[in-house]
Amino acid sequence: MGPFVRLGNALGAAAIATILLVAFGLQFGLNEPPCPLCNLQRVAFVLCSFGFVLNLRFGVQPLHYGLTLLGALFGVVASGYQVMLHMAPGAAAYGSPILGMHLDSWSLVLFFAVIAAVALLLMMSGRPDHDRSDHQTAMRFRGILRFAVYLLIAVTLANAVNSFAQCGPMECAAKPTGYWITKYIR
Amino acid sequence: MTALIFLIMAIAMMTASAGYRGTAIGLFGVSFVAAILWFDRYAIEMPRLPF
Repeated sequence: MGPFVRLGNALGAAAIATILLVAFGLQFGLNEPPCPLCNLQRVAFVLCSFGFVLNLRFGVQPLHYGLTLLGALFGVVASGYQVMLHMAPGAAAYGSPILGMHLDSWSLVLFFAVIAAVALLLMMSGRPDHDRSDHQTAMRFRGILRFAVYLLIAVTLANAVNSFAQCGPMECAAKPTGYWITKYIR
Repeated sequence: MTALIFLIMAIAMMTASAGYRGTAIGLFGVSFVAAILWFDRYAIEMPRLPF
C-alpha cells in the first residue's frame, strides 16, 4: 500500500470519527436527541469506517473496500428513506437545519462522498497487499494510523453508551424528547 | 438494539486492531444484518413523494 493510499485510509477513518463527533456536538449543543433513523445513519458511518480500519491494520484489499461500500449503501438507503419521508410539501423534517440542510440530507451527501472516496482510493491502490505478511502490515500500523483507528473505536463506544442512555434496552421513540436513563438518575 | 450494534462494531474494530481479521469481519457481518433488520423495523411509513 502506497503512502498516499495509507494516508487516504487514515483520513477516511478520521473523517468519519469527526462526522460522528460533530453529530454529538449538535446533539448536545442544540439539545436534540437523535431519532431512530438518525442513530441508524450513525451506525452506517461506523460500518463504512470498518473497511478503512481493516486496510490500515492488514493492508489494502478489495474485500475491505467492499465492506466500506456495503456500509455506505446501507447509509444511502437509511438516509435516502428519511429524506424521502420529508420531501413532500408540508412534511416536517426532524431536527434543526445546519447550513441550509437537515442532517439526513447531509448524511446522504456524505455517504455518496464515501463512495466517491473509495472509488478514488481503489483507483490509486494498484496491487492488493496479499503478499505482505501480517508482521509487515502490523509494523506499519502505528502513529497517525493507529490514532485514527483508536479515535474511531472511542467514538463508536461513546455512541453505544449514548444510544443506551437514550433508548435503554427497548426501542427508541420515533421523535425522542429526552433520555431513558434520566428516569433512573436523580 | 442500536447500542448493541455500536458495541459489536467497537468490539469488531478492537478485534481487528489486535490482528484477528476473520473474527472482526464476522462481527461486522452480524452488525450489518442486525442494522438491516433494525432499519426494516423502523421503515414502516410510506414516503409521500411530491411527484
